[in-house]
Amino acid sequence: MNWRRLNNVLHRDIGYLAVGLSIVYGVSGVAVNHKADWNPSYRMTKTARQIEPIEASDREAIIREALEKLGIDEAPRNAFRPNPETLQIFFRQATYSIDLPSGAVVIEGARPRPVLFEFNQLHLNTPKRLWTVVADAYAIALIVLAVTGMFVLKGRTGITGRGAWLTAIGVLLPGLYWVYYLWR
Amino acid sequence: MRRTVTTAVVMLACASVVLAAGVKKYGKDLTLKETTKISAIYAAPDSFNGKRVKVQGPIVQVCEMKGCWIALASDQEFQTIRFKVEDGVIVFPMTAKGLTATVEGVVSVETESVEQQLEHGKKMEKEMNKPFDPKTVKGPKTVIMIKGEAAEIQDAAGR
Repeated sequence: MNWRRLNNVLHRDIGYLAVGLSIVYGVSGVAVNHKADWNPSYRMTKTARQIEPIEASDREAIIREALEKLGIDEAPRNAFRPNPETLQIFFRQATYSIDLPSGAVVIEGARPRPVLFEFNQLHLNTPKRLWTVVADAYAIALIVLAVTGMFVLKGRTGITGRGAWLTAIGVLLPGLYWVYYLWR
Repeated sequence: MRRTVTTAVVMLACASVVLAAGVKKYGKDLTLKETTKISAIYAAPDSFNGKRVKVQGPIVQVCEMKGCWIALASDQEFQTIRFKVEDGVIVFPMTAKGLTATVEGVVSVETESVEQQLEHGKKMEKEMNKPFDPKTVKGPKTVIMIKGEAAEIQDAAGR
């Protein structure tokens, strides 16, 4: 097997292996790039409700009365009073913040976005441990794909022809942007 | 083929039950045996400044932008303490609110100037997507937090 054939076999097979991860990292990359405009991992909701003011004064009685007035049977995960006028009740899918004297309620929810949540967790290496090894291997695989990719074709469309120009543009792009970023 | 799919589904279901019922670790392992009350830190902040502690409490806030901090409710009402980690070292899930966390780190007691509070307030406004009223800043304020890299959340399903 000559070196070009070995190069192409490596490029092809590593390419196949990288398809799944490339989609995960690509989709998540776009989502995370715009996190100033949205939360890429969670669908955040905020709604308002009005109940009768809470009259109880003891903590446990306040929670009981609030749940009763909200018409919630589900046992909360926890409850907390950040200040004497406010009660927060935590459920799996939502947090209720109640202004006790007025009965104004703000319900905040955070639901993981299907698929995107998982993609982002992997892309941002939230699981750490074993995933760090997988992510490192993928990064190395991308380098191998880039290098072997340059030598897949020979002739006019290869690295000695059009490939040289396109590779040069791809290498110059981050360099030129960095110069622009530093001097703007 | 059908048997393989069924086995995979059953294994996934079992794994979810185990995860749902357990304790989820974040970052490094907890090392301290003794748990310090959050109220004790507030009672004598200077004596805890720079010391390593382990505290426990329900999670009442999570950083919405990066998941890089959580606020734990104290054993006393109206009191919380923030547990801050380096960005990316741990990403706390938004769905952890209300669950009980045990965290370990070093207590930091700092005095924030008015300017620092205004800057911090604006940052928080962005992170938590909640309005910040600069009028609430009245003067320098003592800020107590725990900076760490180890946490465990009880009963977390991982999402």
